Amino acid sequence: MMTSLFSYLIPLFLFFSNVFASDYHEQLNLKPLPQSSLLASFNFRSNTTLSQFEAHNFRYFPRSLGQILQHVGTRELHLRFSLGRWDAESWGARPWDGTKEGGTGVELWAWLEADTEEQADLKWLTLTNALSGLFCASLNFIDETRTTRPVMSFQPEGDHGSNLDNLHLLHGVLPHEIVCTENLTPFLKLLPCKGKAGISSLLDGHKLFDASWQSMAIDVRPVCAQGQECVLQIEQTIDMVLDIERSKRPRAQGNPIPRPPPGHDLKCNATKPYHSGDTCFPSDFAEGEDWSIDQIFGKFLRGTCPLTDPNVPAVCIHVPERRDIFTTANAVELKNSDGLSRCYQVPSEGEFSMILPRMSREGDNAKTIADETVEPETPLLYAERSLTGHGQERGGVQSILTNPSPDTAVEFVYMESLPWFMRIYLHTLKARVEGAPGVKDDIIEEIYYRPALDRARGTQLELRVRIPPASIVFLTYDFEKSILRYTEYPPDANRGFDVAASIITILPSTSPGAPPLRLRISNLRTTSLLLSLPTPDFSMPYNVIIFTSTAIALAFGGLYNLLVRRFVGADESPEGAGGLKGKLAFLVKRLSAKFKGAKVRTE
Amino acid sequence: MSSSTARNRKDGSAISEADVTTSSMPFGRGSDTDIANTAAAAAATEPIAPNSDSTSTETSKRKPPPPEQPSHMFRRSLIIASFWLVVLCLGVPIWWKTTTIYRANLPLDQMMSWADGKSCSPVLPIRIALASPDLNEQETQHLISITQRSLDEMPGLPSFQLRLEAAAQTSLDDNLESHDSNHIPLVLRLLQGNKTVSIPTSSLHTLFPILEITYPPSLRPAPETISSGLATYIAAQIHETFAEEQSILSYFLATSTISSDRQQHSSQYGIDESFSKRMTRSMKYSGTYHLTFSLFTSGSSPSSWDIESAINQYMKPVLDMLKPIHNFTIDTQVQLYAVPGVQSQVLTKEDLSSFINAAEWPLSPSIGGAPTINFAIYMGNQTISLNSAEETTSQSWLVPQWGSVYLLSPPAATHVPAEFLKQPVLTFASHLLSLLGTPQSGSLSMRLSTLTRVRSVDMLLRASSSLGSLARLSLALPSISIPSSVAEGVAKSIHHLELACSTLGSTDSLEHARIAETEAERAFFEKSMVGQLYFPDEHKIAVYLPLLGPVGVPLVMGLITELKAWKTKRQQKP
Repeated sequence: MMTSLFSYLIPLFLFFSNVFASDYHEQLNLKPLPQSSLLASFNFRSNTTLSQFEAHNFRYFPRSLGQILQHVGTRELHLRFSLGRWDAESWGARPWDGTKEGGTGVELWAWLEADTEEQADLKWLTLTNALSGLFCASLNFIDETRTTRPVMSFQPEGDHGSNLDNLHLLHGVLPHEIVCTENLTPFLKLLPCKGKAGISSLLDGHKLFDASWQSMAIDVRPVCAQGQECVLQIEQTIDMVLDIERSKRPRAQGNPIPRPPPGHDLKCNATKPYHSGDTCFPSDFAEGEDWSIDQIFGKFLRGTCPLTDPNVPAVCIHVPERRDIFTTANAVELKNSDGLSRCYQVPSEGEFSMILPRMSREGDNAKTIADETVEPETPLLYAERSLTGHGQERGGVQSILTNPSPDTAVEFVYMESLPWFMRIYLHTLKARVEGAPGVKDDIIEEIYYRPALDRARGTQLELRVRIPPASIVFLTYDFEKSILRYTEYPPDANRGFDVAASIITILPSTSPGAPPLRLRISNLRTTSLLLSLPTPDFSMPYNVIIFTSTAIALAFGGLYNLLVRRFVGADESPEGAGGLKGKLAFLVKRLSAKFKGAKVRTE
Repeated sequence: MSSSTARNRKDGSAISEADVTTSSMPFGRGSDTDIANTAAAAAATEPIAPNSDSTSTETSKRKPPPPEQPSHMFRRSLIIASFWLVVLCLGVPIWWKTTTIYRANLPLDQMMSWADGKSCSPVLPIRIALASPDLNEQETQHLISITQRSLDEMPGLPSFQLRLEAAAQTSLDDNLESHDSNHIPLVLRLLQGNKTVSIPTSSLHTLFPILEITYPPSLRPAPETISSGLATYIAAQIHETFAEEQSILSYFLATSTISSDRQQHSSQYGIDESFSKRMTRSMKYSGTYHLTFSLFTSGSSPSSWDIESAINQYMKPVLDMLKPIHNFTIDTQVQLYAVPGVQSQVLTKEDLSSFINAAEWPLSPSIGGAPTINFAIYMGNQTISLNSAEETTSQSWLVPQWGSVYLLSPPAATHVPAEFLKQPVLTFASHLLSLLGTPQSGSLSMRLSTLTRVRSVDMLLRASSSLGSLARLSLALPSISIPSSVAEGVAKSIHHLELACSTLGSTDSLEHARIAETEAERAFFEKSMVGQLYFPDEHKIAVYLPLLGPVGVPLVMGLITELKAWKTKRQQKP
């Protein structure tokens, strides 16, 4: 079974086999990806027995989070902070089957214990507010319009026994939230070793948020094993894809502006016909990069966290067997039998680094690209989503879902939680299948739709879809853009409104001969959308006031004067009272008379 | 109707213009004159020569306007009056109604009188039971009356009234619990000593609120005497026992807003600086406190501790004693790799304030309404030098209104046993008492009953001053909106204040005062009141002027001309 798995699934395997071996576990998994990228997965896991948790004795479990969970009766919690886009075309399947990532921004879902839905809503409000303070994120903006109660998409991961009935699942997304260092600091504070020792000492905001894609996850769930006391488990995960070349750039010393490399350092593609001394076609990624941990992360790994089981290797790397790797002294290398990964036991004191030198593509011992990276596995499904249509009134959404597998159908739940100001027309929902000939278009098996209420809740749309092998599904629907009230526009209204990523839950295969990858639930998220709504000119209210006032004043003044003025003949009007014109004429006459008089006198 | 009048006038003016045109025809030539005349007559209704009035010759030909019909004048007055009627009776009320800010009615006078201490002068009646098994009833009553007299003569707060009474005849030892529930804070037990005793002695019971006084037989009170040495002695003892409570009370009265006229107490009852320091370090009263015990180490060990059993052994008795007044929730945590804010080996007094690394140590307050008291144990060899001259060092210090820190030298193992934690937890227990504002003298039960009384007066004063602040705020900011929930909170607060004031000194009054205080605070910190809408005057002008300018000017001008015409008419009439 192991041979068919990727190395980043090893911790998952370990998790299933010796989850109770230690109360604290941490591991770093490195995996070089094509195009000179590196996936680094940090995984931290601590357990506390439920009795200790109830007695408020916190040892490995963070007190600040534990108190919040107890206060609002949260049985299971999942929190995600994500940034960037996972390039599935080149990087292949997602780490952890996509179960430990969220849509761009912040995503939170939790199972709360409550008797009624109203009570659950109140608890949810308290939970989001408390977490907002703890993680310095705007989680308190997850209000009722951003909260949904998914029906088909999420299943509890923990063991809840029989009291599943009064658990309420609530889900909220903040696609606009920018994840940054202020979210990483509280995240690290939750760890027992706090980024001071062990693999967490590599984490640094400058590198993490410079990554092409990153996702921070916190999962809290009760885990019960046979014959043992139930434990509450908190699992913290950070996954990031680093651009090796970019990360190797030395931290600027005084000059923060990146400079282009000098001419002799450029890597050129010499096969081009125009290649010469002064023309260069850059050959990205053609030759492997050499890198080391301290170059990529900017610092060395400082010992191990003393709370971990010393037998569990701290660092694992997923490369072919022929890849040369050098480490600092005293590290023990453990090769995996599948030949695709190896792990290192890090000395408990001192600094650790791992160096992967450049491997020559020429000479006697020539290496190929297959010796440097393992070919990434094809994901079960590709998904992309984009806005269609034009104009300020209507628009459309098109999701393109591709099943790359030549022989297996994929069944999944596609969930959209849309803001209320994006009013979708469900009758325009269409699925079109391309690829396999003779396939009918009715691939949507089940629809759960909860329409939006203006300013009260958003649209929730869940579709269960089955895609036949080797085909592409175009899922389209139209929507209408509503006009917001004056105060509902954000300060940067012209930027547009973020629409949360749609969540795709691939259901486990029911066929008996399915590979192990298909036996688990895996997730996928599209990118978020930027919807531009009709945006008014914000000086409009004053203009309206001025305009209507002028109109009213004109009408009123005319009518009033007509009613109360007395009309007389032009020669009957009293002297000088002929309006402004008469007064002016009178004034001019007097002035000219005076001027003439003065002239006469001077003469 | 009005259009026809305008037409009539227009006709008149047109005719006169036609006349002018015919008379001053500039291009009238011979035979054309007739045709021109007929054309002018035919077009009599429309003014044809706009240049006619611009010719300079005809100014001398001005005629007085035809006299206006009185019915027209009356009608014009009616029109102007009806316009003004609509503006005043419909426009102004609508404008007033739509722009006015909702302000619920607050009982301002009542609130101010509470704040000024006029509604309730806090009077603490303290009943002291006198049990004298050796004296008969008459002697006891006499002793009580003369002791009471000497008590009253002693200098004291007017709000602090010590009342002596005879103890119930039931046996004292059996009914200690019932005495507590009867709110008798102190029982005096008079015992006649044997012959060898020459002067009276007193001793305070360590567990129960009993003051035992042994007097020599020679001082046995004789009837019919006005003063007795024993009575004076008893009075002095009682006064001394309650001295601290009295000074705490006078401190509260002095620091609260009520006491402007009672300022003299502060000097009179010796509120010195150390005493006020002790009072300011205590936490704000709350029904429930979160206690957080944290173990901090700068390295990776020790990583576990037996705090639960240590708390059960050394802290629980104190918490149980405090149970009638406060509830406690306890949580504990272990934090590794916690570097203190000060790295030096010897901590000076200045270092102590920055020792707690607030940025990195997860000491965030607990969720929920109750305040958190932090007890931090730091594993380190640091010492505290209180004074450079002295060699005395200490291991713990109290952070006012926050908690306390204990420096514990690390054990060899990674696990801290319960015995190792004995000293820190005991220190924390005593620090907890002072953080709660418990008096320092007397037996524990007396200190706690004092705490109840003192706290209820404290809460009463706080609630009153909050009400006063709210009243002053609503007077000072006329543009602030006052929602009805504030008025409800104020009413509730005043109701509970009255209840608390009437039963001052009992545990009920503490509860009432607490409710009153929370309601007053909630009313004061009402969310919708805090963010008051602010419209600068420039904005108001910019919004109103475009409408009110063009509409208002003709209205006002019409009114002025009408009034002028009316005035001249009145002057002409007589």
